[in-house]
Amino acid sequence: MHGGLAIEAKGLVKSFDGKEAVRGIDVAVPEGTIYGILGPNGAGKTTTLRMLLGIIEPDAGRRSLLGHERPLEAARIVGYLPEERGLYPAMTTREAIAFMGALRGLPLETGRKRAEILLRDNGLGDYVDKPIKSLSKGMAQTIQLFGTIVHKPKLVVLDEPFSGLDAINQGRLEHLIRDEAEAGTTVIFSTHVIHHAERLCERIAIIADGRIRFEGLVAEARDRLRPQVRLRTRNEDGLWRQALPGDARVEGGFWLFELPRGGIEPILKALLDGGAGIEELSIERPGLHDAFVAIAGESAAREMVANEQADLGEAA
Amino acid sequence: MMSVFEAARVIARRDFVATVYSRTFIIFLVLPLVIFGAIMLTGQVLDDRDSSTPRVAVVADSATVSALAAARERLAAATSEHSFPRLTAVDPAENVDIQARQLLADHETGYSAVFSGTLERPVLTGPRKIEETTGRRLALIVEDAARTTALAAAGRPTAPVPISRVVTEQAAGNLQMVRQDIARTIQGIIFAITVMLATLLLSNLAEEKTSKVIEVLAASVPLDSVFLGKLLAMLGISFVGLALWGGVIGLAYLFFQAVQDFVTLPQVGPAVGWPAFVLLVLFYYGANYMLLGALFLGIGAQATNLREIQTLTMPITLLQAGVFFLALAAVGSPGGALTWFAYIFPFSSSLVMIAFAAENTALWPHVPAMVWQVVWIFLVIRLSSRLFRKTALKSQSADSFFAILRRRRT
Repeated sequence: MHGGLAIEAKGLVKSFDGKEAVRGIDVAVPEGTIYGILGPNGAGKTTTLRMLLGIIEPDAGRRSLLGHERPLEAARIVGYLPEERGLYPAMTTREAIAFMGALRGLPLETGRKRAEILLRDNGLGDYVDKPIKSLSKGMAQTIQLFGTIVHKPKLVVLDEPFSGLDAINQGRLEHLIRDEAEAGTTVIFSTHVIHHAERLCERIAIIADGRIRFEGLVAEARDRLRPQVRLRTRNEDGLWRQALPGDARVEGGFWLFELPRGGIEPILKALLDGGAGIEELSIERPGLHDAFVAIAGESAAREMVANEQADLGEAA
Repeated sequence: MMSVFEAARVIARRDFVATVYSRTFIIFLVLPLVIFGAIMLTGQVLDDRDSSTPRVAVVADSATVSALAAARERLAAATSEHSFPRLTAVDPAENVDIQARQLLADHETGYSAVFSGTLERPVLTGPRKIEETTGRRLALIVEDAARTTALAAAGRPTAPVPISRVVTEQAAGNLQMVRQDIARTIQGIIFAITVMLATLLLSNLAEEKTSKVIEVLAASVPLDSVFLGKLLAMLGISFVGLALWGGVIGLAYLFFQAVQDFVTLPQVGPAVGWPAFVLLVLFYYGANYMLLGALFLGIGAQATNLREIQTLTMPITLLQAGVFFLALAAVGSPGGALTWFAYIFPFSSSLVMIAFAAENTALWPHVPAMVWQVVWIFLVIRLSSRLFRKTALKSQSADSFFAILRRRRT
């Protein structure tokens, strides 16, 4: 499944009105993976995706989409859901999906039939002849997503697909993304919500301030941080405390510290020998959020959280 | 990747269907018919209305009244009923001056002037401007009445002089007039259609901007095909409109012809003959639309929102009106700088060539004119589509006219 690269970009640069929005981005998305681009709003995610798809031309650098240097040449096998959702309000859901397929070379009649199937399979069969303007925002977004995949593309690019969706529609979208990936489609999406990337992606790129700060497997991002040890003891004092690392801190009645390179065993021995009275001991792998903070910086992480909260407010 | 034309067909089809099934299109179709019907009806009503002809009270003895009435009858029969004021006899009172003022003040009778005195010493009472219009025509009636009365008194009654008629097929003057009328009518229709199409095109673009579909299109097909598709869709829509209007007017004509001789078509056709004329009109209409449509689309893409698009409508309509009047001025014109300019200026050239086809039998000048049009269509589409491509995608393009204005303001 993971053969060549679906997307490869090197040194992409783009400026608007003299201000650099993207400053030399390198991306390599293996075929058949779910790939996430993480970053706060304004980090350069949309500009990067637009350049990868050939909607805008980079000022410098080169990119290849499914082996095509000119991205539009691969248009028939690519699906794209832009951040600014766009559907003709008067069109019915079936026609809207079929039209988006037709733009990618799918015959209209086939598009209509596939639209009906997609709607029916996702419990939206009653909406086949409903105009877009009569749908909720989340439902319209789902219709646009169907339009993005109706021509069975090899690569699906989704720009902030979860933005503005309620929890039910977010779940439906996650499900659809997994289905597409299982069918062998490469899915690349941008998001400012870390847990979507954490749940869905195999590989991620973290963008901040127009630069890639990390590119690789989610596990690799998390491995950049040592696992965290959480310890609660019955006795507060004792010789065993000398065995804890120097940066160990107490939070909410727990000792917290990074797992030492030498492992947990020497500490565990000291705890047992020193009669610390272990009540709770756990070694936790750091989450992607922690990795993001470590990679992109505290301010970028705070911005991400603010974006996410604004998004939740919008969906509510 | 789909070819530009293949993609343009998909875009054109969507725009065509969306527009044809929209309320705006129904207005687009019905409004010209309503306007046309209203003009016809108004003309008919005005023709029938007495009030459109000034009324003059004749305060005189019965012999004078009869002589004036007979003279009016003769003159109106030779020209038209509405050319001369209607005369109403009023018995003279003791003081005719006071009576005349009273008659002019009476809103119910609505006299424009009052005639008093005799044929030898006529007096016309009324506002100053009456002298310019009704007065001169009344003078003709008085003159005719006086002459006829004098000749009758001398025992030489007047009789119409019979004119022997030699009927020819045509007269150059008449032919020219009819052909110029045909040219002006076609130019007027094309102007009206392109004004409406420009509005439709801009509202279509507004829909694109507000629904933000443009990015989906740009990611799927070349922007040139979006541009071309929109242009072709509107051209198709206009042909639907033309076919429908033509059909309705044709049916109406046949209906009224069957009921009564309502309208008579001119016996004279355009100089190149109807078949060639129709083909040339279709070509020049298409060329005119493609040039103006491409220009509007290029300019319209500069706007970033609906309000800015509406702002653009006025100057665009003014531009069209300017081109139309330039073309009108060239009809029947023997030459001169303005006429040549109208022939060469690409946006008026097609309209002027329609007039040329109506007035001149020569077909060869249409060949260079068509080539000239095709060259300009190509150039304007290239230029406008570049402009469109540069600005259509951006919600706040730095290069757009409006963005520059905004920057200046701040």
